[in-house]
Amino acid sequence: MLHIDIPSRKEVIEKAKSEGKKIAAIYPIHYPRELFRSFNIQPIEVWGPPKTDTKKANAHLQSYICSVVQSGLAFYLEKQLDIADIIAVPHSCDSLQGLGSIFKDFINPKHELITIYLPREKNKENVEFLSNELKRIYKQLSEFCGFSPSSEKLMEEIKKEEEIDEIVDKLYRIRENLPLSSRGFYAILRSREYLSPDEFKSKLEYILLHASKGRLKKTGVVFSGLLPEPMEIFDIIDEMDCFVAMDDMACCMRRVYGKGNSDDPFERMAERIVNGPPDPTKGNSFNERFGFLKSLIEISGAKGIVFYNVKFCEPEYFYHPILKEKLSKAGIKSLIIETDINEPISQQTITRIKAFTEMLRENEQ
Amino acid sequence: MEKVKSIGIDAGSTTLKIVGVEEEGKILFSVIEDADPKIEEQTDKLLGELRNNYDIENSKIVATGYGSNLIKADKKVTEITCHAKGIYEYFKTGGTAVDIGGQDNKVILISKNGKVVDFIMNDKCASGTGRFLENTSWRLKISTEKMAELAISSDNEVKISSTCAVFAESEVISQLSRGQKLEHVIKGLHRAMVKRITSMVYAIGFNPPLMLSGGVAKNKAVAQMLEEELGEKPLIPENPQIMGAFGAALIGLSE
Amino acid sequence: MNLRDSIKYLFSYKIAGETFIKLNTKKAFKNFKPPKSWRTDILAPPLKTGVYTKEIIAKHYLEGRYVNGVKPVAWVTSGAPIEILKALGFYILYPENHGALCGARKAALEISEEAEKKGYSMDICSYARTDIGSILSKKTPVGKLPKPDLLLCCTNICQTVLYWYRVLAEYYKVPLIVIDTPFVYDEAKEHDIEYVKKQLEASIDVSEMVAKKSLSFTKLKEIVKLSKMAAELWLEIMSSNKNIPSPISVFDQFIHMAPIVEKRGDAVTVDFYSKMLKEIKERIKNGIGAVKNEKKRVLWDNLPIWYKIKFLSEFLAEHGVSVVASTYTNAWGELAPMMDIERPIESMARTYTYPILNRGTGHKLKTMEMMVKEFDLDGAILHSDRSCKPYSVGQVDQRLKLLNELGAAALLLEADHNDPRAFSDEQSKSRLKAFVEMME
Ligand code: SF4
Ligand code: SF4
Repeated sequence: MLHIDIPSRKEVIEKAKSEGKKIAAIYPIHYPRELFRSFNIQPIEVWGPPKTDTKKANAHLQSYICSVVQSGLAFYLEKQLDIADIIAVPHSCDSLQGLGSIFKDFINPKHELITIYLPREKNKENVEFLSNELKRIYKQLSEFCGFSPSSEKLMEEIKKEEEIDEIVDKLYRIRENLPLSSRGFYAILRSREYLSPDEFKSKLEYILLHASKGRLKKTGVVFSGLLPEPMEIFDIIDEMDCFVAMDDMACCMRRVYGKGNSDDPFERMAERIVNGPPDPTKGNSFNERFGFLKSLIEISGAKGIVFYNVKFCEPEYFYHPILKEKLSKAGIKSLIIETDINEPISQQTITRIKAFTEMLRENEQ
Repeated sequence: MEKVKSIGIDAGSTTLKIVGVEEEGKILFSVIEDADPKIEEQTDKLLGELRNNYDIENSKIVATGYGSNLIKADKKVTEITCHAKGIYEYFKTGGTAVDIGGQDNKVILISKNGKVVDFIMNDKCASGTGRFLENTSWRLKISTEKMAELAISSDNEVKISSTCAVFAESEVISQLSRGQKLEHVIKGLHRAMVKRITSMVYAIGFNPPLMLSGGVAKNKAVAQMLEEELGEKPLIPENPQIMGAFGAALIGLSE
Repeated sequence: MNLRDSIKYLFSYKIAGETFIKLNTKKAFKNFKPPKSWRTDILAPPLKTGVYTKEIIAKHYLEGRYVNGVKPVAWVTSGAPIEILKALGFYILYPENHGALCGARKAALEISEEAEKKGYSMDICSYARTDIGSILSKKTPVGKLPKPDLLLCCTNICQTVLYWYRVLAEYYKVPLIVIDTPFVYDEAKEHDIEYVKKQLEASIDVSEMVAKKSLSFTKLKEIVKLSKMAAELWLEIMSSNKNIPSPISVFDQFIHMAPIVEKRGDAVTVDFYSKMLKEIKERIKNGIGAVKNEKKRVLWDNLPIWYKIKFLSEFLAEHGVSVVASTYTNAWGELAPMMDIERPIESMARTYTYPILNRGTGHKLKTMEMMVKEFDLDGAILHSDRSCKPYSVGQVDQRLKLLNELGAAALLLEADHNDPRAFSDEQSKSRLKAFVEMME
């Protein structure tokens, strides 16, 4: 198996700081990395982090708010984001909406606070709206940074991201030729949450070099949900002689956007996000989501889907029953698991994953 | 001494079950004991005792259940696969298997040819599991068997709305202190539990026959109410607790 | 229009049903007396005009039983811009209101269990569970709900409705209009309003197609006018509670708000609230308070706990506590001034972007602080509603601010608006008791 060194978030932040960059701590899910980068800002995403002690978040949030938001806030309250200059909260769901609002009205961080509204549905109006929303943020960043990057600079950063999206897409398609464990593969993909584009790209190219003709002789599954935390969940899958062949996760595949068409940088960034893969937080239709999942199965040859759901995440919950039914009619098996990213994986979850993989293999024979 | 071809060990959260089978899959022995925290020692001890009466030198050992990690075995398989196998071979039919254990419930859809089609387990909480009844049984100092009898004989029931095992217990107490009759409350408690289980059965898509296993399968009130709720008389093996271990032993045969 | 359906509609609803309901109302009004279980020792008798609430709602659901095939039917979210649909002659059903009705009649649990059986998580909004359960099982206390021809979902109350309406669109295979209203963290930006306006304009085409007729702007203006008038009256009714003692309680408002939600834009609604306002003024004149021995005045934040209205109202009244203002009932009145009859679409875009649920947590605090001052309040009950995240997030901070900066007693009451499993009588009683003691 291939081993690739990935610097930690901390190392990346320190390096960026020493290069005179500003740091933006960014909550889930959708935002244009390229916009921040043109201001010489390094976006560092805050997905949790898992296994955080969320006690402090209780001073602001009720217990029925998901663990992603709980730990995201606790992490700030533990002063772990003090190193950042900017905090950005995209409007992904009711809970993140609340988080952004609490930050603004009650917590008042010393950071520059940016909120981003994500338009729902795919249409012309939405692209136009999002491009205006991004212009507003551009203005806010210009004032904060004291300069305004040119359209050329914006386009340059957009193209970099588009190129990376293309490589990631390619890697997904040859996943079974890559000598990487599930954990290994996703550790690299997820380093995009904080690495600079050049550094991330060099890791991807290194993997491409090591793609082999030989295939992983394992049963593949598609992993769907917000994020795979705690990451040990992947070890359990691998232990059963299976691997994650493809994903439909907010932190990964759902943000592998296609190329934009427009020559206007704002419109182009907006197009990329609005026309990106289906995502429950965008409120995509069942047909879009089902079609997408089916295509993931077809491309990867995976045998089943694991819906790995953060407890209290309503956007995901609503889709499960009908999706599961549609998948089952199409002969695709699926499993729904609930998780709290701050708790160790329960014995129950382990049993379920194992039983699911046993079932997939039994039916393969 | 009889030759044991394969041994299944089901190390559950509350009990340890061991089943031995011969070549054809016929059960030679079965042992049930309360689970000891030191599972490894406990299994060694039990296997040691069995050695006096059976030839287990070359038996395959397949382990399942929460404690299976601590057991030396040729193979480890999940409870889902084992229960499905055990139940299928016992009744020789596909359908819906419901296993109600001390701390968790499983509902397994089994195909005509004995394969697991789909399954679900209850969430982390003890809602609808054996623990649901046990808590109250400890609190009221009435055995679960007695509680089941009370529930069956009761002509009326008080609605217990809580699905949480801890809250349900306090709801029972508060209903009693309000002067509700014991048997009515107990029947309501059984109903709340059965409703949780039936909702799991519906969630997976009920496909008869209904086959019960696990310790709670012996509870007559639960069986009767499941029949009321699902409109199907459940099939119950003679010894419902050992189905997982039996399935494990059978899996060992094909190793 | 289908001839058979029309005839059935005419006979069963228009001729037999309506006449029967009207007669009933007349009788009820003439022989008005409180229901037997009414605690006249601690509460003023119910509003006499309340019999019309029953009439309006009964007629609405009765019409619903026969309306398919006669009028186009739309299912909409509670904060949806319905004026365009009204002007096109749609019959409008609010699944949330139907959910509340199931909750108040204590049928919500059984119905939502039907949804849970199909795999809908217990952690999704209990309105959605009630609605989906009702669709899957056909269970409803109102007999039968009409099938939708169109779905209209506006995200100005939450994002949750978006996923919920996706489910509806999947079950019914009818067009879904989404009016996406950007969340207002402080002030709405020009491009936010522009975006909503464009969506409203685009929605006209789809609605016209379903209704098979074209929109008359004269009609639209008329509806906007009626909608505005009703909302203004509702606002005035709520403001009359500034009087001490308060003539009606928030629990009364919860019951009598159904028309402003469900029949906004209808002439009957304007008429109804004018009558109600008159009766309330009468009460004020006679010094009648909703709670007989009003000692303390408090506000209610968040949705009602539908299945516990009587319990809460009586428990608080026993302790001389009158609940006189609420952010929830206020939501259907506070935006009335924004409506501009001459510029219906533009003003709708603004009005429907600004409901309290689409605004920041700080704005809600300000609203509550204003209420504390204007209504002369001693405390606040913040219902922490497990089901409704947009309404509940922020309450922990809001409570502390009310406590520390205004010196108002403030209680966070854990429950759920429609799921009785999240409510414990004993626990709530002891919390409420402690809250009452805090005010003494
Ligand atoms: S896990 Fe779900 S509820 Fe939580 S922040 Fe993400 S999208 Fe929102
Ligand atoms: S109760 Fe809350 S979450 Fe549910 S539909 Fe209403 S606003 Fe949305």
